Amino acid sequence: MRAQWKGFLSFGGVSCAVSLYTASSASDRISFATVNRATGNRVRREYVDTETGKPVDKGDQVKGFEIDNGQYVILTPEEVGAAVPDSGKTLSVEAFIDCKAIEDTYFDKPYYLVPSDRTAIDAYMAIRDGLREAKTAAIAKATLFRRARTVLIRAHGKGLIATTLNHDYEVRSAKAAFENVPTLKIGGEMLDLAKHIISTKAGEFDPREFHDRYDAALSALVKAKLEGRSLPKRKAPVASRPDDLLQALRLSAGVGSPKTAPAAANANAGARRHKPAARSSETAASRRRAS
Amino acid sequence: MPAYWRGYLKLSLVTCPIELTPATSESEKVRFHTINKVTGNRIASRYVDAVTGKEVEEDDEVKGYERGENAFLFLEDEELENVALDSVKTVNVEKFVARDSVEWIWLESPYYVTPSDPVGEEAFAVIRDAMSASGKIGVSRVVLGRRERACILMPRDKGIVLWTLKFGDEVRPEDEYFSSIPDGKADPELKPLIGRLIKAQTQPWSPALVADPVQANLLALIEEKKKALRRKKVARKKEAVPDPGGKVVSIMDALRQSLEQSNSRKAGSR
Repeated sequence: MRAQWKGFLSFGGVSCAVSLYTASSASDRISFATVNRATGNRVRREYVDTETGKPVDKGDQVKGFEIDNGQYVILTPEEVGAAVPDSGKTLSVEAFIDCKAIEDTYFDKPYYLVPSDRTAIDAYMAIRDGLREAKTAAIAKATLFRRARTVLIRAHGKGLIATTLNHDYEVRSAKAAFENVPTLKIGGEMLDLAKHIISTKAGEFDPREFHDRYDAALSALVKAKLEGRSLPKRKAPVASRPDDLLQALRLSAGVGSPKTAPAAANANAGARRHKPAARSSETAASRRRAS
Repeated sequence: MPAYWRGYLKLSLVTCPIELTPATSESEKVRFHTINKVTGNRIASRYVDAVTGKEVEEDDEVKGYERGENAFLFLEDEELENVALDSVKTVNVEKFVARDSVEWIWLESPYYVTPSDPVGEEAFAVIRDAMSASGKIGVSRVVLGRRERACILMPRDKGIVLWTLKFGDEVRPEDEYFSSIPDGKADPELKPLIGRLIKAQTQPWSPALVADPVQANLLALIEEKKKALRRKKVARKKEAVPDPGGKVVSIMDALRQSLEQSNSRKAGSR
């Protein structure tokens, strides 16, 4: 086991020697090559000068920032490197965040954060237990692998996990993403039925027990094509109609009568508008008009 | 932002059309082009035939499954869509679990889930609000990037966040890494001090915490170069590296000192 990074964790004037180890790694699956349909040969990527059309050596490729049309300020790799603040070898804790307040969409990569030597253990265990007790995570700044990073540190079992966070401009805001979703508050029978369905499906989940079935399904498809058999077409799923939504929920919850499904759904849809208690189950369209 | 994936969200007999868009993007604040140092021209990438060296049109690019050495079976995107798995097009939520039961270490990539057609807006809201009301998150599976991954669905604001999860063999077992940490708890005498430090420095979450100083530095650098094209060089600032090896300061003393400092800062600002 080799540490990806060695340095110091500092908080409240205390500093202790720590190491970071990658906690996860990507696994391999079936991969495809990109092939030229016309020749059957593999395709490779090439970098060419847009004016001369000639390939450009790696060493001649530099970063340019466009200032005017076709005019570039060139930055050398050294200059780009010098723009990264040098925080030495320190993960310095700048703030603590309530675990519930953290926006997980910022999470990038997790690392096991481990004390490097025995002198670090007292401070390490103190911050670990403190974080766990307060249900908080620490926000630390560091220079990792030549990038300025913000790191989230939290207690995990016997140790600590440091998760690098994406920068503000790398994460799209949830608010903007959900801007066009209409404001609908669901209540009444619909909500009760859906909650009931959820309770019947309540259980435990261990990600370790999950298996990717894609490679097996893909192998079957490849085999069928190699043998010249026709490939099966999948049936397209059908979206529930707003008129049938309540009935679909009732059937899912095991309280509807399947025989009269469509008729019953329509009848209910008409009737429930008159009942104030079931106001929440009006159609989406009518509620949007109201808001 | 174009949708990354279009399909259906399904809870029992309720189905609604949805789309997924990545919550993260690769884009940087300062956008660079790659330039040929020798000519000053921009560089573009293109695909060429590995044998003939000639440029390949995008329409001529096809996925190839290598059935023998340099012998490929072509697989068109439409054919791949027909792989015999419902999770290619449908996120069927078959299980619900407590909010904190999936450890953060399993999270792989986040996506925003939104209804893709008005016909499904109410069904989407029903699934979202029922998860909120029961304090549960959904567990399902979805094929993205030619892999079927477990995923969890969590209500957020008016939408749903879907996180794909890592595979079992992608998370390294923690025991190997934490074996040097002794069992048991921290020194009880340190507990109140650490507690006070955490309390004093706890902040609400804000994107300002994940601002990138590099982008600002690069913009300043570009500005400088623009103004005086001749003047170069950025002085590299070095910050002092702490030296915990020097004297052994007691953890207790260090924490006390830093708490005093933060208390006096607070008092001063009043």
